[in-house]
Amino acid sequence: MAPVTLKSITKSYGTTPVLHGIDIDIADGEFVVLVGPSGCGKSTLLRMIAGLETVTGGDISIGARVVNDLEPKDRDIAMVFQNYALYPHMTVATNMGFSLEHRGAGKAEIAERVNWAADILGLRPLLDRYPRQLSGGQRQRVAMGRAIVRNPQVFLFDEPLSNLDAKLRVVMRGEIKGLHQRLGVTTVYVTHDQVEAMTMADKIVVMNGGRVEQVGAPLDLYDRPANLFVAGFIGSPAMNAIAGRITADGFMAGDVTLPLPPGVSRADNAVYGIRPEHLSLAAAGVPAIVKLVEPMGSETQVTLTLGEHTVIGVFRERLKSQPGETVHLQPDLTAIHLFDATTGGRLN
Amino acid sequence: MKTDLSPRMKVALYGLMCVLLIPFVFPTWWMLTSSVKPISDIFAFPPDLWPRRFDFSTYARVFELQPFARQYWNSAYIAALVTGGTMIISSMAGYAFARIKFPFSNAIFMVVLLGLLIPSEVTIVPLFQMFLKWGMINTHWPLILVPIFGAPSVFATFVMRQFFIALPVELEEAARVDGLGRFKIFWLIALPLAKPALGAVAIFTFLHSWNLYLEPIVFLSSTQMFTLPQALTQFTDAYGGAMWNIQLAAATMTAIPVLLVFIVAQKQFVEGLAHTGLKG
Ligand SMILES: Nc1ncnc2c1ncn2[C@@H]1O[C@H](COP(=O)(O)OP(=O)(O)OP(=O)(O)O)[C@@H](O)[C@H]1O
Ligand SMILES: [Mg+2]
Repeated sequence: MAPVTLKSITKSYGTTPVLHGIDIDIADGEFVVLVGPSGCGKSTLLRMIAGLETVTGGDISIGARVVNDLEPKDRDIAMVFQNYALYPHMTVATNMGFSLEHRGAGKAEIAERVNWAADILGLRPLLDRYPRQLSGGQRQRVAMGRAIVRNPQVFLFDEPLSNLDAKLRVVMRGEIKGLHQRLGVTTVYVTHDQVEAMTMADKIVVMNGGRVEQVGAPLDLYDRPANLFVAGFIGSPAMNAIAGRITADGFMAGDVTLPLPPGVSRADNAVYGIRPEHLSLAAAGVPAIVKLVEPMGSETQVTLTLGEHTVIGVFRERLKSQPGETVHLQPDLTAIHLFDATTGGRLN
Repeated sequence: MKTDLSPRMKVALYGLMCVLLIPFVFPTWWMLTSSVKPISDIFAFPPDLWPRRFDFSTYARVFELQPFARQYWNSAYIAALVTGGTMIISSMAGYAFARIKFPFSNAIFMVVLLGLLIPSEVTIVPLFQMFLKWGMINTHWPLILVPIFGAPSVFATFVMRQFFIALPVELEEAARVDGLGRFKIFWLIALPLAKPALGAVAIFTFLHSWNLYLEPIVFLSSTQMFTLPQALTQFTDAYGGAMWNIQLAAATMTAIPVLLVFIVAQKQFVEGLAHTGLKG
């Protein structure tokens, strides 16, 4: 177990810059999730920590050592790959013991560690099988087994669940989280799924276009996104964003006026953000026309037209509204996010 | 491949395949049967599918007329060395071209491939002069060295390179994280997974060496040193006429290892394919 520090990390492929100065501090034993849209550089960053990509600029430290020029094997990390990368010609037991074998561990020690990992992950009955004889979830578990056997300083995961079906993903999500709680090893986990990020992370790093947009605890990011990008990325369904002006009378978006919390300063070029669950139905309020009603059972998701904008509301009550009907919306004034439309930065 | 054909369709299909088999099986059958016919029966018309009279002495005569056992050994050990050497060189070269970044690697690979375009008839005279200078004429060295460092090996390198390129890089990265260096990754991860490609290379190289005809004729002069294809042409009577039955007996014995190699390596081939079951 060790802290990991990334200091002004840059990366270019040839002359194409991919990462533009990344600073992240990962505490000892922390579970950090790197999340962001496809192509933002998450895998590149993770692979740089692993030592599979060279560092163009900046420093990567694991524990007290700067590891920029160390081979992966000398960094004391373990990595779980998206496609598991199990050795097809070796049994589960050999796969799991492989790294120990090549670090000069004795037969007894290897067997002991492999059995220990197999017990944790429920792999005992599968030890003599080949990867091709396993299901997707089992392979996933073997890949994790291979990582924990060695007791490394840091675990690195690159979208480990993206090849599993939705149900299994939820199960494995819990297992990885449980494993982290049990072993307490510093973990860096890459995903583009914000639900995975929210549910698993101690700390989320939101990346976009090779930059860090915001770092924080999941609920902090949810409650106070630093900018429009994070606001739109974290949360599902996404936060409603309405462009307009902040005036003394409220937020003007075309013909629609939305209520504002007290004490916000005027701005001509702003975005009004409100999460779907922070809209409620009331007798009086902002009029909106129902476009689509999607009952989910526990809640109802409604798509509404608000002037020329489309917004989504999520309501606890079971709505009987028909498309075309007019309802009145009441935004929760404590949960309004205001952003600058040009910079995307937060205003309130 | 699983298809759900009706029994009647199956019968028809197998019938058709049997008919299509005839042109491939008949020459082998004719070789086998004619090798035990007296020479006068070989050209009987219509040809006999089953010998009228058997004469097994042809097989003994093969060994009396020439040092056939010796020639057999020559062909066998040369083919084995060439196959082994080519497998080592082509797998390492193919891996290097597929995975190791070095300057101009693609350009160098193109140059190597160009070697395939030059027919062996063009290079045989300069090769002869070279081996003459090295004092290797009427030795087996040219037959061993030319294929290992020549066109067959280039082709094998190409096959291996294509295979290694298709192997998931993640496997090798996992091995790097697990603590393996470049050579161990090649030896313990890439090469075992390359069994199907190696099997193909082995079959191809063995056959090429076993059937080599032009080079032995050019480089070898004493019957003790001859290889089989060259020896087969030497079963003639005092007037230079071919002794067909004896020649076909020798040809039968020549063909057997080829069939054996094919059967053995083909199994390897299929097993290797099953092992590479790299799924999602
Ligand atoms: N070997 C390479 N050569 C050149 N460009 C590369 C290379 N690898 C990645 N890139 C570029 O770097 C950027 C970041 O890629 P990366 O794989 O890190 O994205 P990612 O965030 O992991 O995306 P995804 O969610 O799709 O996996 C992309 O624009 C990609 O095109
Ligand atoms: Mg990626």
